[in-house]
Amino acid sequence: MAATPRIIVVGGGLAGLSAVIKIAEAGGKVDLFSIVPVKRSHSVCAQGGINAAKNLKGEGDDVLKHFDDTIYGGDFLANQTPVKQMTAQGPAIIDLLDRMGVPFNRTPEGLLDFRRFGGTLYHRTAFAGATTGQQLLYALDEQVRRFEAEGKVTKYEGWEFLSAVLDSKGVCRGISAMDLRSMELRTFPADAIIVCTGGNGAIFGKSTNSVVCTGSAQSALYQQGAYYANGEFIQVHPTAIPGEDKLRLMSESARGEGGRVWVPKDKNDKRNPKSIPEGDRWYFLEEWYPKYGNLVPRDVATRAIFKVVYEHGMGIDGQPMVYLDLTHIDRETLNRKLEGILEIYEKFVGDDPRDTPMKIFPGMHYTMGGLWVDFNQQTNIPGVFAAGEADYSIHGANRLGANSLLSCIYGGFVAGPEAMKYAKSLPAPEGDGGHVAELKRQQEFNKLLLNNPGTENPFKIWRELGETMTKHATIIRYNAGLDEADAKIVELLERYRNVNLSDKSQWANTSFAFTRQLWNMLQLGRVIVQGARLRDESRGAHYKPDFPDRNDEKFLKTTKASFKDEAPAFELEEVDIQYIKPRPRRYDATA
Amino acid sequence: MATAAPPAPPATPQLHGVQPLRAGEGNSYLWRKLHSLTGIVPIGAFLVEHIISNFETLNGPLAYAQQVKFLNSLPLVRILEWGLIFIPLAFHALYGLFIAVRGRSNVNVYPWAGNWMYLSQRVTGVIAFLYIIQHVWRQRFAGVSLPENPGAAFHKVQVELSNPWMLAIYVVAMIATSWHFAYGIWLFAAKWGITPGEKARKKFGYVCGVVGTALCLMGLASIWAVVYKYPNAPENVLPEQPAGVVLPASQTSSPISDPSFVQK
Amino acid sequence: MAQSTIKVEIKRQSSPGAAAVTEKFEIPYRPGMNITSLLGEIALNPVDVAGKATTPVTYDSNCLEEICGSCAMLINGKARMACSALVDKLEQPITLAPLSKFPVVRDLAVDRSVLFENLKKVKAWVPIDGTYDLGPGPKQAPQIQEQRYPLSNCISCTICMEVCPQFNDATGFVGAATIAQTKLFNMDPSGSVLKEERLRALAGDGGIQECGFAQNCVQACPKQLPLTEAISDMGRDVFVQQVKDLFAR
Repeated sequence: MAATPRIIVVGGGLAGLSAVIKIAEAGGKVDLFSIVPVKRSHSVCAQGGINAAKNLKGEGDDVLKHFDDTIYGGDFLANQTPVKQMTAQGPAIIDLLDRMGVPFNRTPEGLLDFRRFGGTLYHRTAFAGATTGQQLLYALDEQVRRFEAEGKVTKYEGWEFLSAVLDSKGVCRGISAMDLRSMELRTFPADAIIVCTGGNGAIFGKSTNSVVCTGSAQSALYQQGAYYANGEFIQVHPTAIPGEDKLRLMSESARGEGGRVWVPKDKNDKRNPKSIPEGDRWYFLEEWYPKYGNLVPRDVATRAIFKVVYEHGMGIDGQPMVYLDLTHIDRETLNRKLEGILEIYEKFVGDDPRDTPMKIFPGMHYTMGGLWVDFNQQTNIPGVFAAGEADYSIHGANRLGANSLLSCIYGGFVAGPEAMKYAKSLPAPEGDGGHVAELKRQQEFNKLLLNNPGTENPFKIWRELGETMTKHATIIRYNAGLDEADAKIVELLERYRNVNLSDKSQWANTSFAFTRQLWNMLQLGRVIVQGARLRDESRGAHYKPDFPDRNDEKFLKTTKASFKDEAPAFELEEVDIQYIKPRPRRYDATA
Repeated sequence: MATAAPPAPPATPQLHGVQPLRAGEGNSYLWRKLHSLTGIVPIGAFLVEHIISNFETLNGPLAYAQQVKFLNSLPLVRILEWGLIFIPLAFHALYGLFIAVRGRSNVNVYPWAGNWMYLSQRVTGVIAFLYIIQHVWRQRFAGVSLPENPGAAFHKVQVELSNPWMLAIYVVAMIATSWHFAYGIWLFAAKWGITPGEKARKKFGYVCGVVGTALCLMGLASIWAVVYKYPNAPENVLPEQPAGVVLPASQTSSPISDPSFVQK
Repeated sequence: MAQSTIKVEIKRQSSPGAAAVTEKFEIPYRPGMNITSLLGEIALNPVDVAGKATTPVTYDSNCLEEICGSCAMLINGKARMACSALVDKLEQPITLAPLSKFPVVRDLAVDRSVLFENLKKVKAWVPIDGTYDLGPGPKQAPQIQEQRYPLSNCISCTICMEVCPQFNDATGFVGAATIAQTKLFNMDPSGSVLKEERLRALAGDGGIQECGFAQNCVQACPKQLPLTEAISDMGRDVFVQQVKDLFAR
């Protein structure tokens, strides 16, 4: 209907910016909402690279092999049609990024260089040093800045998405959002919205994710009727640096260069790790997996470390940490091969890993699940699209390294044009399209929060949520633990009603904004926990010792959660497996 | 326990910060570059000339007088003096002051070498400026006119420096000016892109250091010569020839060409 | 090493117009704490050293691993990233204050949008024809990539501007970050099509000429960008462009 469709994109990471660029290029008007200046979005943290089967190394790589690796890596849970399309578009996306000026590493001839990454046998990963995500984000940010300077894009940085505005027929007509400075509530009209709000690491308290990765927007939409799919699939990276405020990634290459993982045999051993003799150290990976030792696949290493800490209670100083030891390797070798990542450790921990064993622990890293979308990236709410880590569509039960950046850009490139197409045929809304009602609903929520005479500190509730989620819903899952976690979240939701804001001001009140997000985190936490509870099998990142095998007959299905009666309700959906027949996933045979 | 909720601010408060780049607007680029350039030529060039000329004081009052006389015999000397010295100098000094007052030195917080040099360039500039005002006034425009009486130059400076305060001022100014000039060349090279890269700047820094030190030492030596090497110089070593006298004036040696005097 | 508490003094300001006050806190010590975790502890228990209830401190942060550029502030007087500032390496009491050259929003959060405006002014982008498949980009020698990559690591934290004596209200200096980005895009084979426009922009008021070469930018940059080299190179290019324009326009 509208001559110029007006689209709102929520989230300014790779997926959101990709969608913005496509819409602006096609002549649409875009309003871009982001909590942080878009250049500070979480995509900036990605390091390794971006996959595309360009086959520039004469290895005979092709897009179908990339397709197969991705499906196999995701343990066959991903719908194959979008994955096939994504891998097919990979080379063109890399070319485009190259044209945008991304400083990809080069071969001597001046062509793009590619490196190898996990889950494949080919050199398929284009990279810009160790900061590929940063470079890609900046390239897209620059293109959007150009459109902004041309008046095609309006940025609302420092505005937080709160909900979709739905009309009487349940069709999306815009969003409600809050200015994080003036705390002003407003609704914004749109013919379609695209939600690209990333992962939900904050639900786990500490993760490798950024502060804004709360999953709040996805959860708000789920509570408004959107399906949330495969929530139980959470990728945990085996070696992260535990920090007081977050977990920072320690690259797998540390073990590749000979790093050894161990804990003291005596859990009360308080000695300096360097002075603990060999005989008093427990190299549990080498003991349990003599063939591969410290280089067992990622999920195996993750589970082993978890077991040592939580089942044997053998973490260093009783803390959830084990040693990753490089000190037996001479400094020169370390500096030559690992300097970059060792510097990160040195900077943030303050110890020199060349002298002192690093303390590491697996860390929640990536959200495979997300808003359910069809093959056009549209959710079940008409007019609400989703892309990137916020949707569930590409990675199945486990994501392959360097596929996330590709999936973000692919998702945005599909969602943008599809949203335009949708918006062009959208009939005019009846009445005000639900704006007044939605604004009122949000204002009431705010009023309730600000006037609540309770005693609970929201940050304490959050901390307890994170501890529960990390303990029961990350690496190893037991049904009893998941039940316990769900009960805990129900308790926290109850305590939330008694929350007290120590800051009630209406100017740049970050704890107020956080408390709003916390409600959504708690709701989404239940989706993750209950989804995991229902899936009695082990598949990809989801592992239950009581059900150690994959069960395709019962669970080669997408989990779809919907919000019914203040709680998640689940249904299962068939997976699109029309191109590749599921086969056993056995990395130990080929690794 | 909670603080009471203050009423919401009536409107979004205005944030006032540093304004963005005025792309392609204004003339400050031209003035700033002119300031930078004038520091090298003609002012820097003149400074070198001046210090070299003054170095003649080491050869005694007569030699110095002849140097002064030579300079004043250059064609269009008054135009050169105003066009290549006074006007550029005034511009460089005044615009330099304008630059200095707009900087916000922060060596107290960031005591790094470059930052100290930034501050020193402004301090030495101001010292040089104040010194030059009095120097030009007292030596060029007040008292005996040296262009007309080059022979009086040595004595005039000697009298000036007989005041210990003035001597101190000259020494300080000599150091400050050489410093300002030497670092000025370095800055010029760095900012005009002649020495990009850490290595090039470091190497050129040594060059500038040597140049600055040499100029400074020459200047200080000249001061020493005026004050200590040739005390009690005659008022005028090149007295004006009496009117009507036809060259050669006289075969008898004048006092100043008496070698015994010069050596004294 | 066995401290029980950490003393922190935070300069706070409830809104842009409000007066600044200093609040003192004592936080239970744990090993390995950084400034952002310290601020998290205050949010968990917003009570000052005298036992008076206060509010959680407002500050910008996101990635907490020194790549998003959010959490720049003055820590013990010096501009640096809060996430990579470790308590064990700081003198106590630790003082926290907002960056001094940018308008305070609240507490430690400041408005740094001037940098993004500046990036628009110098057209810091590659003007591609479109996002459809047009084949690979131009070949680029690895030597060029090796020069561009460090410049592309700029995280827009604005520390180079904060520490610059020339970046202030009087000069309206553009700052090192934008100049470095100009070089980055001028070096790109396709981006160089806007080279002349960028160079002209940099000669405007507040442009590259305002640099006083105090070199604080390159000292303070948390990502070690070769900022002074970029300023030198752009200084030369801007001058050449101005001379060309003088005679050819």
